[in-house]
Amino acid sequence: MKISITKKQYIGLVSVIMMVVAWKLAAMHFDSDFVVPHPEKTILTVIKLFVDPGFITIVGTTIMRGLVGFVLSFIPGMVFGILAGISPGFNAFLRPILVTIRSIPVIALILMALIWLTPGSVPVFIAMLTMFPFICTNVTDGIRSIDPHLVEMATFYRVSRYRIIREVYIPAIMPFIMSGVSSAMGIGWRAIIIGEVLSQPTYGIGTVMQTAQTFLKVDAVIAWTIIAVLISYGFEKIIRWIENIIVVWKNSL
Amino acid sequence: MSLQIKDLSKTFDSIPVYRNFDIDFPESTITCILGPSGCGKTTLLNIIGRIMVPDSGSLIGFDNKDISYIFQDPRLLPWKTVMGNIDFVMSRDIPAEERKKQAGWLIRLVELDAFADYYPSKLSGGMRQRVSIARAFAYSSDIILMDEPLKGLDIALKNNLIRSFSRIWQSDRRTVIFVTHDVDEALLLGNEIVVFSRPPVRIVTHERVELPVINRSLGSDYLAGMKKKLHRALGTPLHSDFIS
Repeated sequence: MKISITKKQYIGLVSVIMMVVAWKLAAMHFDSDFVVPHPEKTILTVIKLFVDPGFITIVGTTIMRGLVGFVLSFIPGMVFGILAGISPGFNAFLRPILVTIRSIPVIALILMALIWLTPGSVPVFIAMLTMFPFICTNVTDGIRSIDPHLVEMATFYRVSRYRIIREVYIPAIMPFIMSGVSSAMGIGWRAIIIGEVLSQPTYGIGTVMQTAQTFLKVDAVIAWTIIAVLISYGFEKIIRWIENIIVVWKNSL
Repeated sequence: MSLQIKDLSKTFDSIPVYRNFDIDFPESTITCILGPSGCGKTTLLNIIGRIMVPDSGSLIGFDNKDISYIFQDPRLLPWKTVMGNIDFVMSRDIPAEERKKQAGWLIRLVELDAFADYYPSKLSGGMRQRVSIARAFAYSSDIILMDEPLKGLDIALKNNLIRSFSRIWQSDRRTVIFVTHDVDEALLLGNEIVVFSRPPVRIVTHERVELPVINRSLGSDYLAGMKKKLHRALGTPLHSDFIS
């Protein structure tokens, strides 16, 4: 068991090294910092960014937007998802709305949001709209997946309604919620940064990426990209960690 | 004192399953209902469990009685351990400490002491069904309804479950109504064995097994004789009948 994990990590490491080597080869081929900067130079830029006094504000603001967008999509996603799971009629009503939201190109949403909203709130709005369908659909699927026999069993044993919700329904939909949150977050970070690039709020990773691009500082663009990937990866790890605590019964399969 | 069903009628999918049907269930006794598949045994359990309403007829002595169930599938909550599943059905009026003690006692009786903290996914089918037996006794019921809980299990598992069940029942004699189509199960577990006909149901025969439910052997002359009688009543004679 332990050996296979180490082996997997080893293969993963090889894959990362190959990406860096490909990057290095491209940098050597073009031999221009304005096209493809060298990896070591970019890493140095990342480190410089970390110690920059404005770094925390920029990254913090983007993360804050992500979290606000997440909360704003999570709450209605739960409410609508539960309603659609219980009522097939409501589900039929909600389905076209979700399909529409999901099919609209993110860029079209941003262009409209730029007209309607302030620069700071555009990314939050975009994040909310892209995350909402994931949460909603997963919660609905979760509710529908509940084994009616288990609910019947609990009713036969006269377990209170409150306890049935708390101890039967919620644990049953938890894995679905967590997987919805995971996909939503993955998409959400990308949407926020696109939103920031186009709306140019005072602080934000997207804002500084756009500025760097304007001045042809490719190393800075890549450095910020790496930071964005790290944020996304970090949150994915946190979600997995929470999931492991909540759905411990599933992991012991 | 016994529980009675009087003048029961129930039509199901335009089939008159019960027509003016009477049956008694003595209390603190295991009554086995034996009958061919689709003869309305489950319908009767559903009526007793108040899941189904009869067209007419009365249930006497069932008011205010609490009921436990042992289903064909164990119906355990996958996110609760063995201990958690048993605790789940126990009244919250009992303090947690006491619930844990009672559940622990039942877990020992079904020989799952080493698995109290296991999730159902880690248990075998027979072990899960043992948890569901322990759960039925953990709930403070007067009646236990069993709907073919041993169906589809191999002989060794069946015997194992029958042993678990009879061991608990020996120290906690509730009224049990056990529905099965398997003569051997009825012989191993029943105090009373009632054979049902095809619908509309009538009682073909009613036998009393004068043996303690624990340590019964199908090889004994007494049970072998009873087995012949039951098979004849069911209309499924044994091979030995043809030979003799």
